[in-house]
Amino acid sequence: MLATTPYLTIRRPSPTTAEFTLTTCPPLTLPLRAALFGVLCLRFIAVLSVIIGIYAAFFSPTGLLPPPIFPSGRISFLDFDLNNFLLHILHLLYISRPGQYLASLAISLPPYAVLALSALTSYIALFARIHTTESLLVLRGLGIQMSSSVGGGNFFRLGGGTFMKRTRFIPTEKIQDILINEAFKGFEVRYYLVIVVEGEQDVVVCFPRLLPRRKIVERVWRGARGCLYEKDGPVLSAGAGGGGGSHGGNGAWRGGSGNGNGKGG
Amino acid sequence: MSQSLAKECNEAKERYDTCFLKWYSEKYLRGNGTEQNNECSTLFKEYSSCLQVALKERGIDKLLDEAREELKDSDSTYMGKKKSSTGPDFCRDRMLEHIRDRQDQDDGLMRVFWPTDLPRSDCNGVVVGWRNSALDVLVVAVLEEVEPRRVESALKLGNLLRNAPHPVSRIYEQCGKSSISVLGVSNTPDTVEVDSSWIRVTIAPKQRVPSVTCARASSIQIILFERPLPGRMQYMSLNPIALALGDKHDGFRQDFADSGEEDDEKRERLSKETKRKLVEKLKQHSVIKRIPSPKERALATIVNQINWAWELEKLLQQNVSRIGTRPKRALSVSERVVESATTARDMVLVWLWELITIYVLPVIKKVFVLGLMAHRVVAEMLLRILEWRLRPRYAALKDISATAQQVEIRLQQFCYWPMQYVTLRMRKNDWASVTTSHPDYIRFYNSLWLVANDVIIGMAFGSYIIENAGWVADEISRLLTTYTVEALQSSISWLMGWPAGLKLNTELAAFLGDLFLWVIEYWASCIETIRPMLPRIVLIIGFSSFAGASMPLALFSDLLSILTIHIYSFYLASARIFHWQLNILQSLFHLFRGKKHNVLRNRIDSCDYGLDQLLVGTILFTVLFFLLPTVVVFYLNFAIARMAIILFKACFDTALSCLNHFPLFALMLRVKDPKRLPGGIRFELRDTQDFGATSNDNIPLRQHPSTSVISLQSIPLDFKSMFYQYFQMGNRIRKHYLSPRVALCLLTGKFVPPLNRRNLYSLQYSMLPAKRAGVMEMWDAVNSLPASKRKSMPIQVPILANGRRFPSNYGGGRSRSYG
Repeated sequence: MLATTPYLTIRRPSPTTAEFTLTTCPPLTLPLRAALFGVLCLRFIAVLSVIIGIYAAFFSPTGLLPPPIFPSGRISFLDFDLNNFLLHILHLLYISRPGQYLASLAISLPPYAVLALSALTSYIALFARIHTTESLLVLRGLGIQMSSSVGGGNFFRLGGGTFMKRTRFIPTEKIQDILINEAFKGFEVRYYLVIVVEGEQDVVVCFPRLLPRRKIVERVWRGARGCLYEKDGPVLSAGAGGGGGSHGGNGAWRGGSGNGNGKGG
Repeated sequence: MSQSLAKECNEAKERYDTCFLKWYSEKYLRGNGTEQNNECSTLFKEYSSCLQVALKERGIDKLLDEAREELKDSDSTYMGKKKSSTGPDFCRDRMLEHIRDRQDQDDGLMRVFWPTDLPRSDCNGVVVGWRNSALDVLVVAVLEEVEPRRVESALKLGNLLRNAPHPVSRIYEQCGKSSISVLGVSNTPDTVEVDSSWIRVTIAPKQRVPSVTCARASSIQIILFERPLPGRMQYMSLNPIALALGDKHDGFRQDFADSGEEDDEKRERLSKETKRKLVEKLKQHSVIKRIPSPKERALATIVNQINWAWELEKLLQQNVSRIGTRPKRALSVSERVVESATTARDMVLVWLWELITIYVLPVIKKVFVLGLMAHRVVAEMLLRILEWRLRPRYAALKDISATAQQVEIRLQQFCYWPMQYVTLRMRKNDWASVTTSHPDYIRFYNSLWLVANDVIIGMAFGSYIIENAGWVADEISRLLTTYTVEALQSSISWLMGWPAGLKLNTELAAFLGDLFLWVIEYWASCIETIRPMLPRIVLIIGFSSFAGASMPLALFSDLLSILTIHIYSFYLASARIFHWQLNILQSLFHLFRGKKHNVLRNRIDSCDYGLDQLLVGTILFTVLFFLLPTVVVFYLNFAIARMAIILFKACFDTALSCLNHFPLFALMLRVKDPKRLPGGIRFELRDTQDFGATSNDNIPLRQHPSTSVISLQSIPLDFKSMFYQYFQMGNRIRKHYLSPRVALCLLTGKFVPPLNRRNLYSLQYSMLPAKRAGVMEMWDAVNSLPASKRKSMPIQVPILANGRRFPSNYGGGRSRSYG
C-alpha cells in the first residue's frame, strides 16, 4: 500500500527539455498521506522508546517522582534549565505505564543486548526508506543529469518529501552514446539504460536502484535520444513498446546504434 | 573564443583571435593603430590557409562565394576602416560565423542564462552580456534608462569598462569571448523595432522568472543561476574542486618505486588496463560520431562567465552614468565642507602611513626575510640528512623512523609556506573572479590551521606529561615489564608444559622455551639499566610536544618499536625455523611418494629413489612431522605478539595522519559557506506550463515559444571526496594486511613485510609538492613579492584604462581602497 512498482512520469515543458521520473511512491492521496503520517509517528515512538530504554538501563532512575524543573523551588524564567526540563519530561515518560514496561524489559536484558537493540531500532527508525525516486533530466545542449533520492515517511521530512538527493550531471560533450544493455541478475535478464561517458572507466547506469522493466527503459531511451539529438524533438508515443523489434543476444547494441541514424548530420 | 568551423583550425584561429584582440584594444582603440596590422597578419595567413583546405574538403567554398556577393554591401560599411588590410579575409571569417550560426539556428532553441539576483525593476533597459553563439546568450547586466544604440557604441569603444581595477583583457581571456554585446531590451513595448536576434525580456520587481521572447527562437530554455560572489571566493565549477595537490606524486612514485612495484599495485594497474581496453571496444559500437555543436562545447566557458558575472556587472553599472543622460549634480556647500574635512584627515593618515611604510616596514621586512632564509638553509641541511640513502635501494632515515618522517613533514611544510604565500599574494593583483588559486588558498590555510591546532594540543599534552613525568615513567616501565617481559615469560612457560592438553615434544619445547627465556632475561636486565633514564626520556618527549602533539606521538611510536625489538627478533627467528621445517617436510613428502620437485621445469616429476634413501628420508619425515606442532605453537605465539604491535603502530600512524592531513579547513568551509567548495553543478526543472499548453498570461497576444525554466545550482563537495585520500590509504593498508597473501605468509612462516612508509607518502604528497623549491628559488620568490605589490600597479594602469589618459582621481581612490 505504501509503495508501488516503479512507474514513469514525464515532464516536458519544451521539446528540448524533458524529465523522466521513476518512482515507487504512489500518487499522494489522502489515505496515503495518513498512512505516511502514521509511519512517521511509529518512527517517533520507536526513537522515544529507545531513549527511555537507555535511560532505564544505564542511568538507574530512582523513585517515582520526577526531578523538579526548578530545583530552587522558585518558578522564574531565569532559573529555567533545559537539561532539567528534558530530564523532567523523560522521567514523566518513564513512570508512565508503557514506560514502565519498557524499563522492566531493558533491565531484564544484559547491557550489551540493550545497546545493540537500541542501535538497531534507532537505525531503522531514522534511516529506513519506503520510497525510491530516480530521475533523468535531459537538456539539449547541456547534458543529462541523473538524480536519485530516497524518502517517503522519513523521519526528517514529512510525507512524500525526499531525504537524500544525489545528482550527477554529464555534459553532452562527454556523452559518447546512450544505449540499452542487458545483464543477468540472478536468474533473470534485466535491460538497463547505459550512458557511455568519454574518458571514464565505467559506463554509467541510469536508474541503478530501480532497474525498471524493458518497456519503461525503451521509452526513456527513445525520449532521451529525441530530446538530446533529434532536430525537432519527437512527440512521445504513448506505448513505445512495440517499436524495437529485435532484442535477442546483442540486439540491444544494435538498437542503440542503429537508431542513431535518425539524428541530424 | 568561438570555435572555428573546421575543427583542425581551432588552434590557429585562437592564436589569431588573441593577437587581433590585443592589437584592437591596445593600439587601434587608442588611435595609434597602424594601417598594416603586421604582427597578426602572419598568424592570419596561417589560419586562412588552414581554413581553405577545410572548406574545400567540405564543399562550402562555393556557398561562401555566393553569400559573399549577397552581403557585400552591408559588410562593406561595417568593415570600412579595416578593409584596406584584411577586409576580404575578415569578411570571410564573419561569413563563416554566419553560416555556422545558421546551422545553429535550425535548431531553433534559444538558451538564455539569467542571473536571479539581478536587481529587478519596471524601467525599460538594455540587456547586456555574452553571446556565445547566435542563440546562446548569458546575461550579465540590465542597464536601465539608456539607449541600446549608445550602449552598443560604448561597448565597442570600451567606455563601459573604464576604471577597471585590473586589466580588461583578462576578462576576455577568461570568458573566452572577444566582446561583450547587447543581447536585447527589457520592458520595452512591442512597437519598438529591434534586431531579430535580440531578446525581449519582460520582468517586474516581484517576478522572479523573466519572460523572454526572441524572434528567431522556436523554443527557449531559461537557465536561472545565482551569481557566486567572487569577493567571498565562491565559484562554480564543472568538476569537483581538487583539494589534493594534483597528480604530481604519481610521477614521483613511479621513478621512486620502479624497482619494487608491489604485487597488489601491479594487479591494480593490470585490471585498469583491461578495463580501458573494454571501454575502447565500446567506442567501436557507436556508428555515428556526433560532432558536438558550439552550444554544447560552450559549457565550460559559460561556467567561467557565470563566475565573472558579479564583478562584471558591478563594473558595468559603475560606468553606466557615462552614457546615461543624467548628469552629475554639483556638490552643495555643506557637502564640500565635509569633503574637505575628510580630505584633510586622509592627508594626515596618508602622511603617517607613508612614514611607517618608508622607514619602519622595510627594515622589519628585511629582517624577517633574512630570518626566513636562514631557517630555509638549516631546513635544507636537515632534510638532506633525513633523505640520505647509503645506496639508492636502501632505506633513508625517514623511511625507518616515524619521528624522522614527522620532522621531515614539518620542515617541508615550512619550506613550502613562503612559496604558497607568494602565489596567494599574487592573487590580489588580479580580478577576484579568477578562480584558479582558490584550492591553493584552502590548502595553505588548512596546513597552517592544522599546525596551529597541533601546537595547541601539543602544549596541553606536553604540560600534562611534564607535570606528571614521574608517574608517566612509572606507568611506562610497569607496562613494559608486564606485557613485554612477564607476559611473554608466562606464555612461554605455559607452552613448555603441554598447553591446552596438546602433547608437545617435551625436549624440543624445553629447548626452545629455555632459549627464548634466556634471551628475555637478558633483555629484562637491559631494560633494568635504562629504567633510571626513563623519567628523563619522558621529560624530553614532554618538551618535544611543544612542537606539536604529533611529535610525542611519533616519538612514542618509535619508542614502542625500540622497546619491543626482542619480540620482533623472536618472531623472525621462530618464523625462520618454522619455514625451514615446513619446506623440508614438503620435499620429504615428495620423497615419501616417490616424487621429486623438478626445479628446471618447476613441476613434480617421478623419481627412482634407492631403498636407503627412501628409508632415511621417511624416518626424517616422521621425526620432523612429529616435532612440527611444538614449533608451530611457539611460532604462533610470537606471530600474534608481532601482529599486536603492528596494530598499535597502525593506530599511532592513523593518529599522526589525522593530525597532519585532516581536511579541517575544508570541513569548516563546507559548514560555513558551501559555495566555496564546488563539487559540480546541478540542474533543476522548474514548474512551468507543459509543452503544448496555452501560452502564458503575461503575453496574451503574441505567439509564445515553448519555454522551460531550469535553475542551475552548484553542488557542494561531498564528504566522501574530501576524505578521498584517507579512503585510498585505508584501502591500501587493508589490501596490504588483510589479503590472502598475508594469510598465506603467516601460515607458511614467511616474513610478513611491514607496510612500506612510501604508501603513507601518498597522503603527504597530496598536500606538499613532490619536489620542494630550492633555496635560490625561494629567495627569488620572496624578493619578488614587494616588487609585485608596488611597481606593478602603476605599470598595469595604462593597459586597463583603455583610455588615452590617467583618470585624474586615480591616486586618491586607490589609497582609500588599499590603505
